[in-house]
Amino acid sequence: MSKIQRFWYSGMLSTEDWWAVWLGLAFFSLGLLTLLGIDLVGWIAYPSKWVFSMPEGAISKKIVTIDKAFYPLGGKYSLTARDMYQSLGPIGSILVTYIIFTIATMTGAYFQKWDVKRYFIGWTFIFFVTYLVWFIGHHAFFAASAVDLKKSHFPAMFTLSLGGGASFILALMVGLIIGNFFKPLARYLSEAAKPEWFIKTAIVFLGVKVGYLPIKAAATSEKIGHALADLTLDLFIAGAAATIVAYLIFWPGVYTISRLIFKLPRKTAAVLASAISICGVSAAVATGGAVRARPVVSIMVSSLVVVYAVIELVILPGIFTHIWPGIKDPMVAGAAMGMAVKTDGADAAAGELLDEFMRTKMEETSNGTVIWPEGIITVSAVMTKIWIDMFIGLWAFLLAMIWVYKIERQEGEKVPFSEVWFRFPKFVLGYFIAWFVYLGIFFGPGHGGSAEGMSVLKAAEAGAVPVEKGMRKLFFMLTFMSLGIITDFKKLAEAQFSKMVWVYFIALFFFIIPVASIIAYLFHHGMTLPNMAAPGSALFGG
Amino acid sequence: MNKLVKMFRKNQIKTLDMVLTHDGENWIASNKTIKQVASSLGELDLKIENALRDEFADGKRLNVFMAFDNEAIPMWIRPYMNHYFNRILVLPIQR
Repeated sequence: MSKIQRFWYSGMLSTEDWWAVWLGLAFFSLGLLTLLGIDLVGWIAYPSKWVFSMPEGAISKKIVTIDKAFYPLGGKYSLTARDMYQSLGPIGSILVTYIIFTIATMTGAYFQKWDVKRYFIGWTFIFFVTYLVWFIGHHAFFAASAVDLKKSHFPAMFTLSLGGGASFILALMVGLIIGNFFKPLARYLSEAAKPEWFIKTAIVFLGVKVGYLPIKAAATSEKIGHALADLTLDLFIAGAAATIVAYLIFWPGVYTISRLIFKLPRKTAAVLASAISICGVSAAVATGGAVRARPVVSIMVSSLVVVYAVIELVILPGIFTHIWPGIKDPMVAGAAMGMAVKTDGADAAAGELLDEFMRTKMEETSNGTVIWPEGIITVSAVMTKIWIDMFIGLWAFLLAMIWVYKIERQEGEKVPFSEVWFRFPKFVLGYFIAWFVYLGIFFGPGHGGSAEGMSVLKAAEAGAVPVEKGMRKLFFMLTFMSLGIITDFKKLAEAQFSKMVWVYFIALFFFIIPVASIIAYLFHHGMTLPNMAAPGSALFGG
Repeated sequence: MNKLVKMFRKNQIKTLDMVLTHDGENWIASNKTIKQVASSLGELDLKIENALRDEFADGKRLNVFMAFDNEAIPMWIRPYMNHYFNRILVLPIQR
């Protein structure tokens, strides 16, 4: 059976892109029910930093004992069903989380006509290994910072201070081990290892996060709530710069490198330029179609993209945190990440890692006197990427017109304008809906965080936190794990890619990343992050 | 009025749907009634034009809407972008 996109509604039930919207918005909608006093999302199991046993004199504040390593978020945040969710306990909440997401994702798998049995087995494996890694990654040795130790009255001890980033790194490592050393298992799991689906769903949940940030901050002070609402809108506007950079600076640059230095054929150079400059695999496929290349060209380039994206994901968060721009300019780092890392999965994952690293470092450097809101650095990385993603359809349409009407003139051929819609990333719709609904709650019935709106904002928070914190992080974890499983480094060594491997390497490290950093600096330098540890205080920036 | 209706009907452009794919060597366009295979899109268009000549006789025009079968793209890539390209061929080809 063929899979074609013929009408504007084609693919609504059969593509991962649309299923990210349905899944994301379904749980977002369930979260909104807390405004009516109905809490249907508090079951999500979330990890705490833990130790096997508490040292003498220590208290369970930032670090808990192993039996409390997971808790249902509703047990802490729910206004109407706190006792019920608390009664689930760690194991119960993990099982409920498994059952609900198994049903939800298997519905998607069924409509997308995947092998449902294989998906179920693969999903079950990936889900529980992910939770196991999440558990290990939250051991105090990996995750706790000096501030966590101090707040929990722990004696001074050595920890890696990686925050939640430790779990992400571990998930990626476990995935890569499976993907590169247990290839038959990786092939079997590939039916359920869907990083793009997981990350697009996570990005819809991130939309809840962006809208919820001012609500959360308003609990600290009304002023910080407004500052965060303004900051997210500033990020949205500044992110537009990324579009110009990707399409009008990166693309011509990489195309020129490919043609003049590496003498690649015109179509291959165009596909490669889009992949390296714009948004990775999706741009490679869109451009391949636009220039009427044989599909194999896009396939070869896509294989390179996923490997390079993972390499970037591994090295850039550390470089941006500890070398440049560091905690002085976290928004610059996030935006540069959004421009430099291709594929939505790797970019959002790298942004999340950066968020964990930077917040932990800031908290530690300031001895706990400065605490940045969680997720805002991820938002800066994703916002720039979303801008770039949104224009791929239009760009491919322009390329198609240039190719069909000029370069390889095909008499009688017309390029349908519907192509722009077919290539539009639909998950972006879910992200914006979630963001603007929560922003609407903040400025509407929430009265911008003033005292009279607090009861509404509290009710909104009970539904938003399990989605933006628990579900979003779970789907990020699933993304890291799945990215590793589907990444096969051996592909880089395959001979026929040799020229493309070098174009990619040179363009990425000597052109894209430096220019992205400069542009991010120009448009994001000086953006300030609120200090959540100092109610009513001035904003703390870089 | 009748003349206008007749003129409108004559100028109305019929659209024929086909599915386009690539097997690694050739482009293939097909529907329930015809199937054409060629190594380049230009050659494919000429073959389709020849096969459908009766459909655009008497100065009529025919649009052939070719929707790409995205199953030609490996499954692991489709989540990133589930659309390769669609194209319209306007027959007869104006040379």
